[in-house]
Amino acid sequence: MVSNLFTTSRRWACGLAVALLTAGYAYGQDVQVSDARVSLLPGEQPGAGYFELYNAGDETLVLVGADSDAFETVELHVSSDQDGMAHMHEVEQVEVAAGERFAFAPKGHHLMFIGREKVLQEGDEVDVQLEFADDRHLSVTFDVISPASL
Amino acid sequence: MNKGLLVTLALLGLAGCADTSWRTAETHEIMPPLDFSLVDENGQAVDAEDYAGKVTLVYFGYTFCPDVCPITLARLAGTLNRLDDDVRDDIQVLFITVDPERDTPDVVKRYTGAFGDAFIGITGERAEIDALTNRMRVTYEYETPNERGDYIVNHTSAVFAFDREGEAQFLIRDSHPINDAVADINRLVTES
Repeated sequence: MVSNLFTTSRRWACGLAVALLTAGYAYGQDVQVSDARVSLLPGEQPGAGYFELYNAGDETLVLVGADSDAFETVELHVSSDQDGMAHMHEVEQVEVAAGERFAFAPKGHHLMFIGREKVLQEGDEVDVQLEFADDRHLSVTFDVISPASL
Repeated sequence: MNKGLLVTLALLGLAGCADTSWRTAETHEIMPPLDFSLVDENGQAVDAEDYAGKVTLVYFGYTFCPDVCPITLARLAGTLNRLDDDVRDDIQVLFITVDPERDTPDVVKRYTGAFGDAFIGITGERAEIDALTNRMRVTYEYETPNERGDYIVNHTSAVFAFDREGEAQFLIRDSHPINDAVADINRLVTES
């Protein structure tokens, strides 16, 4: 009986742990995302995701990645212009202080959506999970747009 | 203020009015005429002479570029849309890839097709692209591929404008106001 109870508790605990690891902690009103859109480039070329992140909470927000079922991989990137040369590189994380806004905008920080997993067209919507430090996440719907509209 | 100074200022003002320099950045004195032997988006061998007769805007980029290249081309399309139809008909935009291994004619054709009929994809032999970029003092560099084999190419970000004879005239940087780009392109088409 004791053994059974222990086993049951352990199974329950393991199940809870798996659920937490899978789901993480969803963000509520503390994190707000607006104007989320992803440019759909022709063929298999990667798209860029733009949005504004508003940290309405009391603590610094640390964005560490993103994921979407519609793409093989999603990376955080930043573009910059140095002496007339366009550069781009991946970034590990983006910090947004409490009460601050941070724009993922053309020719600056952006999400790079690589390897389309499903057929997309302009006007579609794509679900993206923004991943934050401490295993937190936020589900965001991105509008699929033409690059010519940017 | 004395009269002499006023006259001087007035003359300077007149000189300013007669100034024919471009509002963007002048390249006529520092850049050679457009000259290349490459391959167009239909797989045809092309020379710079094939594009004579129209004003040509040239942008160097690559299609595995989700942000800077499409944004530059989209803004250029927006710039051209502010011109009169008959002016716009006399302009072509060459998107010349600096990544010909990935950017085949088909790939550059699909990519430029997203921005309008005036946009033409150009690819070719790496040596021929290098000959062109070296002549124009345009630089680009490949970064180390990641585990998927994807790589980033850093490249000159300006748009170069050539007149109908292929003579270099000016270049447009991100920092130039769109009104200046519109005015210079319009003038280049209507005065040549």
